[in-house]
Amino acid sequence: MILSDQNNFGLQCQGVSHWFGETKVLFDLNLNVHAGQFVALIGPSGCGKSTLLRAILGTHPPHRGKILTLQNGRLANADRPGRDRGIVYQKYSLYPFLTALDNVALGLKFDQTTTAFRWLNWAGWGKKRREFRDRAAAFLDKVGLGQAMHLYPSQMSGGMQQRVAIAQALIMEPEIILLDEPFGALDEATREELQEMLLQFYEENKEAMAEGEKPPYTLIIVTHELNEAIRVGDRLVGLSQYWDWKADGHDRSPGATVVYDKPAPVFRPDERPDYELFADIRREIRQVVYNPEVLQRRDEHVNLNPTS
Amino acid sequence: MIRRPITRSWAVVLGCLSVLLLLAGYTWVSHRQHQVNPDDTTIPNWSQLYEGVKKFTQPDRKEERWIVEDSIATGRRLFFGLGLGVVFGFAIGMMMGCITPIEAFLQPPILLLAKVPQTAALAVYFVFFGTGMEMYVAMIAFGIIPALAVTVHLAIKDLPSEMLDKAYTLGASHFEVAAEVVLKQILPKFIDAVRLAIGPAIVFLIAAEMVVGDVGFGYRIRLQFKLTNMNVVYPYLVMLAFFGFALDYGLRFLRAKLCPWYQRDSK
Repeated sequence: MILSDQNNFGLQCQGVSHWFGETKVLFDLNLNVHAGQFVALIGPSGCGKSTLLRAILGTHPPHRGKILTLQNGRLANADRPGRDRGIVYQKYSLYPFLTALDNVALGLKFDQTTTAFRWLNWAGWGKKRREFRDRAAAFLDKVGLGQAMHLYPSQMSGGMQQRVAIAQALIMEPEIILLDEPFGALDEATREELQEMLLQFYEENKEAMAEGEKPPYTLIIVTHELNEAIRVGDRLVGLSQYWDWKADGHDRSPGATVVYDKPAPVFRPDERPDYELFADIRREIRQVVYNPEVLQRRDEHVNLNPTS
Repeated sequence: MIRRPITRSWAVVLGCLSVLLLLAGYTWVSHRQHQVNPDDTTIPNWSQLYEGVKKFTQPDRKEERWIVEDSIATGRRLFFGLGLGVVFGFAIGMMMGCITPIEAFLQPPILLLAKVPQTAALAVYFVFFGTGMEMYVAMIAFGIIPALAVTVHLAIKDLPSEMLDKAYTLGASHFEVAAEVVLKQILPKFIDAVRLAIGPAIVFLIAAEMVVGDVGFGYRIRLQFKLTNMNVVYPYLVMLAFFGFALDYGLRFLRAKLCPWYQRDSK
């Protein structure tokens, strides 16, 4: 089941272009993400995946085009980072001076109380803090870290740190959560465990959809592992500078754009995909997205109508 | 093998041994000197040192105990000087680290002031602040502010931008990012910087007391040195060393209490 049947966008990128001096990075990029989708963003290194992610995050707005995200119930310009977009980096997501529990509770504290409240209303803040910590503890339990909540990040393994980082972002229930190669530094077994964890959140989306509610988690995951993209994502988006820009009247490469956009197979968390079965998908992606020799029209493999 | 670990008790024994050797060496040098000149006061023997200690712990003709009045005078100057310097050094460093126009505005003077030797600039402080309490406080404060501000500023610039962006995605305000993320992250480095600043602060203070003081450690050391009463000078130096050590130890304790994560991190 693909969770894109509704018309509610969590993210709209409209004609996004970006460049650093002479270096063209992104060109006329259009991408709409529905609430509840798990988008796997793939592409050759240097194609601007991180640039796009930073643009969506709002720390580095694009030079041209618009990025709209859902803010307080309506689509608005994402020109600065805000609580409606969560982010998990490969590292530096956690604050070393806070325990796992307080790292997860931090967002609730920032979002729901003010400095003045915390300084002036000690009793009220004490009560709130207990409540936030209870919620954070419940969330950590859910991601299998009930035992580790009083550890500092430096005392945790890389996999545990990324679990906490994901919990830290998800507890905020952002409209969209961006994962920038979150498992890049982890070993294969740990990666798979964390993929399962993400798929469990996808299950919650399905349940919410089944009851006619808004799915709680929308996600863009950047990865260089095709199998990871296929397993976690329900939609594969390939960003590449290798497309037939000459046909569009450019005399030099204008930058990367979306050249591949197709639904991906969906798996249950406990399901171990047989990656052999997806050789076709991988071959197609390698041709269309990664191969500099094969230049095709930019919309040739874009099967989801971007402006629907 | 390089850096092979040793047991705790062995380390204590070796540490005590070096102190004992130091004391024994002093005793021997002093003994040799008194064989040449029995009335020597430049390298006093232990009974002379005892007399010296008695001299500054017993009331003098004005019914004042030197040790008490010197400690109070020097302690107050150092306390207010350090206090002011720490507060302003931290505040300036935080503002330079967080607010780019202030960074551009303050960087040149701070970098230049950091290079001025405070002891050479003594005369400037006499001119501007006289020779009273204000002068000592101003000199210590101005002496340590540049170094502290630069440390805080650089520590903030070293923070990965991800950590700040992340805080905004968690709904933090600018003030919350500064107070809850930046400040807490650099606090242990700042405490370490204060530990390092105590040495220079004491140097500035003692130097100034030697030149214009009428009470205080620097004044007493200079006066007793002129009278070649080294049996007072040496104990004073030892007390200064212990005082500096105690301050340093206190700050390390404070760091361990305030930043329990930092110890784990550095191990």
